[in-house]
Amino acid sequence: MTSAMDTDKHEKRQTSTAVPYINVTPLIDVLLVLLIIFMVVTPLKPSRFKADIPTQRDPNEDLSKLKPNPLTLVVSISPDLQIKLNQDSLGSVNDTTPLAQKLALVFHQRKEQHAFKIGMEARSDVKDEDRIEKTVFVKAPRAARYGDIVKVIDAIKGAGANPVGLQVDDLP
Amino acid sequence: MGMSGGGGQGGVQSEINVTPMVDIMLVLLIIFMVVTPFLQQGITVALPKNMNNPDVDPNIIKESSVVISIPNDGQYYLGKKLVQKEQLADQVDELLKKIKNEQDRIVYIKSGVGVSYGDVVNVINEVRKLGVDKIGLVADKKKGGAPVKPTT
Repeated sequence: MTSAMDTDKHEKRQTSTAVPYINVTPLIDVLLVLLIIFMVVTPLKPSRFKADIPTQRDPNEDLSKLKPNPLTLVVSISPDLQIKLNQDSLGSVNDTTPLAQKLALVFHQRKEQHAFKIGMEARSDVKDEDRIEKTVFVKAPRAARYGDIVKVIDAIKGAGANPVGLQVDDLP
Repeated sequence: MGMSGGGGQGGVQSEINVTPMVDIMLVLLIIFMVVTPFLQQGITVALPKNMNNPDVDPNIIKESSVVISIPNDGQYYLGKKLVQKEQLADQVDELLKKIKNEQDRIVYIKSGVGVSYGDVVNVINEVRKLGVDKIGLVADKKKGGAPVKPTT
């Protein structure tokens, strides 16, 4: 009895209509290709170093009233690509580790000694980390290659400096 | 014997259900299609590679941001357009006027590694005269870069 019914069904299938499925394989193929094209075209995560530059000053401003900041850090690069932090020599652009370590050490000491930014001394609501002076200026000769300068900026950023300023006038 | 037809009542279906997969792929496709026109590709520059610590900034590839590219000494591109040095300031100014938000007044500089720093400084100087005090030096980030710890 059962066997007879099965055979019946079987025969009906074969002789009557086709299987009502859409073949989606080509659709998926095309979709995948389009998807991959758009994914390749969309570039991922660009990054940049933020640097500050001095704004144009009023030429009539009296500069003699401005006091130099004792906490200023200047990284200067000499034409033969040696790095100096203020007055201390710290290797060349080929190896920026001494510079990065020295800067990190300076920031660490400042944190311990509470050498805060001007105007930040009484702001106990801000973390110590953000109150210390971490501004670093970069002074590089015009003849240097841009790649070397960026390497130095990378090291400075790596040590935690923020903001990094670029000296624009009066370059060797 | 009864199963030989395949897909009949009670039989096990031997086809993968692709509908959810197609759904997800369509959605992804639409997302990428929508996002792509808002991005600018700019021109190819030999950017500084393998930098440890640049900050990720998705605004660089936005169509509306001001990107100056210097692939070689003395060649300045604003977006995709080659610009003479003398006209650079005017054109940058025009683009900056479209930026309403004061916070977003930042000019990105994509310079090749071999370009002399003097050229870059000249561009920065022009930008500075327009009253911009923030620039972004575009660089490629190395995967897994970490900040330096002080050694005592």
